[in-house]
Amino acid sequence: MSTVSESLVGSSRSLSAAKRHKSIRKNSRRIYSAYQEQGSSDDEDKQDERVDSNDPEEMFQNIQYQKEIIANIRTRPWPMRRKLKVLKQAREIVLRYEGRLTRTRGYQTAGADLLKKLSRVLYNIVVLFIPWEVRIKKIESHFGSGVASYFIFLRWLFGINIVLTIMTGAFIVLPELLAGAPFGTTRSKTIPKEHLASAQDLDTIWSLGGYLQYSVLFYGYYGRLRKIGSAGYRLPLAYFLVGMAVFAYSFIILLRKMAKNSRLSLASASDENFTFCWRVFCAWDYLIGNPEAAESKGAAIVNNIREAIVEEQEKKKDTSLAVLISLRILANILVLLSLAGSIYIIYFVVDRSQKLEQEKPELTLWEKNEVSVVVSLITMIAPSAFELVAQLEMYHPRTSLRFQLARVLVLYLGNLYSLIIALLDKVNSMSSAVPVSPGNWSDSSSFLATISQPEVDSFSTLVSDISVSEHHNSTIATIATVLDVRNSSVSSSGSIFNQTALFEKNTRSQQDPCWETYVGQEMLKLSIIDMIFTVASILLIDFIRGLVVRYLSDCCCWDLESKFPEYGEFKIAENVLHLIYNQGMIWMGAFFSPCLPAFNVLKLIGLMYLRSWAVLTCNVPHQQVFRASRSNNFYLAMLLFMLFLCMLPTIFAIVRYRPSQHCGPFSGQEKIYDIISETVASDFPLWFSKVMSYVTSPVVVLPALLLLFMLIYYLQAIARSLKFTNNQLRMQLQTERTEDKKKVFQMAAARLQAPEAAVDKKPDEQESDITSQEASIHTPSPRRNGSVTNFNSPVRRGNSIRTITQSASRADLNRGRGAGSVRSPTVTILPKHRPEHVPNRKTIRSIHPVEAAGIITAQSYGGRRGPTTRYVIVNEHDPRKKLLRSATRIPRHYLMEEPAEILELYPRNFKRYPPRTAHRQPHPHRPQPSQPHLSEEEEEEDKGKGRRRMSLGKTHRPRSLSDLHQPAHFYIGDRGESHASMAKDSHTAQGRCGAQEEDEEEEDVEMDWGGLESHSQSQTSLRGADSLLVRSRRHIHSPGRHCQSPARTRHMEAYVKPKTRPKLETPLTESDSASLASSSDQQNSSTDQYIQVIHNKEHYLKSDARQGKLAKKKSKTSFDLNVTESNDLVCSNV
Amino acid sequence: MIFKILLFDRYRDLAPQLVPLDYTSHPDVKLPYELIGSMPELKDNPFRQRIAEVFSEDGEGNMTLDDFLDMFSVLSEMAPRDLKAYYAFKIYDFNNDDFICKSDLEKTLNKLTRNELTEDEVRMVCEKVIDEADLDNDGRLSLEDFQHMIVRAPDFLR
Repeated sequence: MSTVSESLVGSSRSLSAAKRHKSIRKNSRRIYSAYQEQGSSDDEDKQDERVDSNDPEEMFQNIQYQKEIIANIRTRPWPMRRKLKVLKQAREIVLRYEGRLTRTRGYQTAGADLLKKLSRVLYNIVVLFIPWEVRIKKIESHFGSGVASYFIFLRWLFGINIVLTIMTGAFIVLPELLAGAPFGTTRSKTIPKEHLASAQDLDTIWSLGGYLQYSVLFYGYYGRLRKIGSAGYRLPLAYFLVGMAVFAYSFIILLRKMAKNSRLSLASASDENFTFCWRVFCAWDYLIGNPEAAESKGAAIVNNIREAIVEEQEKKKDTSLAVLISLRILANILVLLSLAGSIYIIYFVVDRSQKLEQEKPELTLWEKNEVSVVVSLITMIAPSAFELVAQLEMYHPRTSLRFQLARVLVLYLGNLYSLIIALLDKVNSMSSAVPVSPGNWSDSSSFLATISQPEVDSFSTLVSDISVSEHHNSTIATIATVLDVRNSSVSSSGSIFNQTALFEKNTRSQQDPCWETYVGQEMLKLSIIDMIFTVASILLIDFIRGLVVRYLSDCCCWDLESKFPEYGEFKIAENVLHLIYNQGMIWMGAFFSPCLPAFNVLKLIGLMYLRSWAVLTCNVPHQQVFRASRSNNFYLAMLLFMLFLCMLPTIFAIVRYRPSQHCGPFSGQEKIYDIISETVASDFPLWFSKVMSYVTSPVVVLPALLLLFMLIYYLQAIARSLKFTNNQLRMQLQTERTEDKKKVFQMAAARLQAPEAAVDKKPDEQESDITSQEASIHTPSPRRNGSVTNFNSPVRRGNSIRTITQSASRADLNRGRGAGSVRSPTVTILPKHRPEHVPNRKTIRSIHPVEAAGIITAQSYGGRRGPTTRYVIVNEHDPRKKLLRSATRIPRHYLMEEPAEILELYPRNFKRYPPRTAHRQPHPHRPQPSQPHLSEEEEEEDKGKGRRRMSLGKTHRPRSLSDLHQPAHFYIGDRGESHASMAKDSHTAQGRCGAQEEDEEEEDVEMDWGGLESHSQSQTSLRGADSLLVRSRRHIHSPGRHCQSPARTRHMEAYVKPKTRPKLETPLTESDSASLASSSDQQNSSTDQYIQVIHNKEHYLKSDARQGKLAKKKSKTSFDLNVTESNDLVCSNV
Repeated sequence: MIFKILLFDRYRDLAPQLVPLDYTSHPDVKLPYELIGSMPELKDNPFRQRIAEVFSEDGEGNMTLDDFLDMFSVLSEMAPRDLKAYYAFKIYDFNNDDFICKSDLEKTLNKLTRNELTEDEVRMVCEKVIDEADLDNDGRLSLEDFQHMIVRAPDFLR
């Protein structure tokens, strides 16, 4: 796409401004028609080939190419009609030829087509069913993408929670409900008698006690039977695995999303800053479709720009730094203080509630919910306080937003953590109380037995219980057991006399220690309270405030809408963080309360509707509208952070604490994760457990760990090197782009300067038209497309190899015809020859805008393939060229060897004049035209000897003329060949000059200079040598130089124009990828050549009026001109 | 194709009396700019006229169905970045000379800020913009400059 669009631009650039718009359209139409022609000519080709070869490979390639067109049609900047036509045509071609290849393939494609259509329809339907899409779009249109990003994030979380709910619901809750022991059958599923009376009270329910506590909501309800139901479902195992899978799934889905996003975002490494540009061009949010939002957006943009201006001015001033810094320090201290305060308050409250619980039997409603309320209050109030503090700091809004987010996140985390630590403290005290408490080792069955026991037997029963418990907890240290025994004997000795008291005590001690349920309760409670507070804050802060402001503003002395209360703003940062916090609670509690995700799903749905309603009815867009692109990884990174931090306490609790003895699926185990080893031991075949024991032995684990570390290190190293290469490539691209652009404009300037601008214009226009046409013809040439190489892959060597092979194959393809024309210098072959080359040459020209476009995509690299191709083709013509040149230059003494070099390096040797040419143009009468030529020579040599030269460096330099001989030896093979052809053809050289117009066009420059050169003095050549000195020295000394910032390059160039070249050269010569370098060289060369041609025209147009007549074909006008000129020159020289 | 049908409905809704229901014979129908510009998607956009001009074939904002589809396909979320950048450039290039020059920038700024900036400010911002993005020092932004700059923007919607 880019190639075409660029060529479009490139072509239209040359047109006059008056009929610009229409001409663009016309041009693009021409491109299109060119494409059509190409398509039809392809058809003809096809037919030809079918007649003589019926080459399925070719056909296949064509089909591939057409398919590519179909696939990429969306990315082309063509009007719809054109797209449709092209699409239709491409489809037809594909249909027609694909079936011809093989019948089965035809059917396959038909099937694939059908499938594709079906999937598309399905996709469309699915899109229609994306939840809340319309709602989000509406919000987006009112408030811009920032607010919408909150809702999109909410929706995404909703999706995750749905999956989590399905996981827990399907594998834990449902089996337990269907196949587990029904309510009231076992100890852990029965509400204790003394609680039964109050089990249905509102405040019991409210604090999640009573019936709720003994339900599937919490860990304690689940049975400990290894297998339940007729199918033998292993519930405890499932419980453990699902608990882990919740975390695993969340991690994977988060990381995948992040990876996807970061792949989308290209901004990762750009250190460039276009503050003003972005503020101007990217300011408008195209999603806004509401006058109010548009109004505030406009105001925000004005603010933004003003801010930038102020900042810019402040950069110059740089005052009041001390005040600012002290203010910021103060602000940070304040924030830290408030953070510490909030953490302390939470800890204090939790501690207090625990004490209260122990002291008082009956707690008031407030005392029960103290913790959650305080936590929620802090989460509500503190962010506003932070915001106030942030105003002290006077950061840039975006920075302050980041700060704000980070602080609020720390606050939330602090809250959660102090809460969980306090909870774990309690759990700790609970589980440490467990071994001491007398009833702990009696399980439910023995408990029932105990009830039925007569008084006297109770002691013996307890003793038997001890044995039972010993049996269960075989791992308990004997000392502990002994201690237990002593304790129990003490207590039971008392209980002999008072059995009922013991019973009471037993029940109490059996109820309480279910710490898992307790944690789950707390989490669920927190979540509920949070929801209530959210609803309340939405209603109060947003809705009531909105109502008040709306309806009371008339009867108030000041304007409520714009002064104090105002309408509420939608605070993206806080709301997003709130979502993250909420999700963190879910993750933390999901293991202990399997229904928490389900609850969260409901909560999120409610939140979605409530929030969207509130936003649309009573919020105004944020003053500082900042835009969030959809691929924003910031939220996700915070979420990931949260997930990790929330997973830690859960994992810690699982690993550290002993599961409660009387409730939950893991009761009776020493550790929760014992379930795995138990399952492996009992349910798997023997060999498996053996294997497992081997695998888990340190002998295996340690090397595996080591291997993992090594792998991580290796991957990281690779990533680093890739990043490095990426950076380098980007740098290189950038320099090239800059350079290319410079040349384009120099070219434009040169054209403007030309006195015969009017005469010039026409051919130029045509040329550019051809350019665009031919670009469109040849860029998508099937052969080239066949070998689409992915230049984005940072392994340069791979690239170069691929490119080389490609060019080689192209060479093969062309050699047949090309060689034929070389050997038999008759005119008849030329017509066939011509269409082959012109496009190739042209492609390059049209391509440089692509380069400059700055699209770092495979497409733009694709554009480079043009030059590579050309490289080969040009080489193919070298014999002839050299022949001509030798005909021209034989009389000259010191240039004898040159042709060989040129032969070898022809495509490169143009490379360097243009800047100099352009530079020279203001004073074209100076007697230095030979300098470019000399430098050219040197450059050839320079290039030819490549790096060797660099190492030779300065010592090599002074003998520039004598050195010229050397390269010739290197390419002696080529030379011989060319000599042979030269001998044969030299006498026809002149005659062919006229015929081989296009082929020689490239040589015109050469010739021209050859002619000029004959007047050159040795003195000028010395000057050229000097420039080489500079260059070669730079080669040596600036290996790392190419990483220069473009700004600097530009800067330098402004002053030292001639010197910039070498600098840019450095990366080229140094880079491993010869192909890359050469292709860029060619691009340069094409531009250069272009300039040169114009230059020539300036010189000769005046003198030669008849040249215009010679231009028979319109499209070739300029070439013809040049050719005739060069002919003259050649003649004169000979 | 569903989207196309939906879009056709949108198109037709703008002027039911002008657009025939049967579009199989490709009638030559153009909606005037006044109607296009009053669409909710565009009506608050400061560049609405410019957008309509760029996408319409006659360059004056009067759109055929094809132009209409073009516009939506480029402005849709799914359009590739390069395409968006290309059309964004055309939108900002007010005088159609394939360069964003100072006058274009001034127009852009004035539309964007509803003439709230002073002349000095506008001038300064224009200078800064050109200074930042103009890689070849010719005092105006070419498409390449523009793309180079815009693809690096964090806000450029992806």
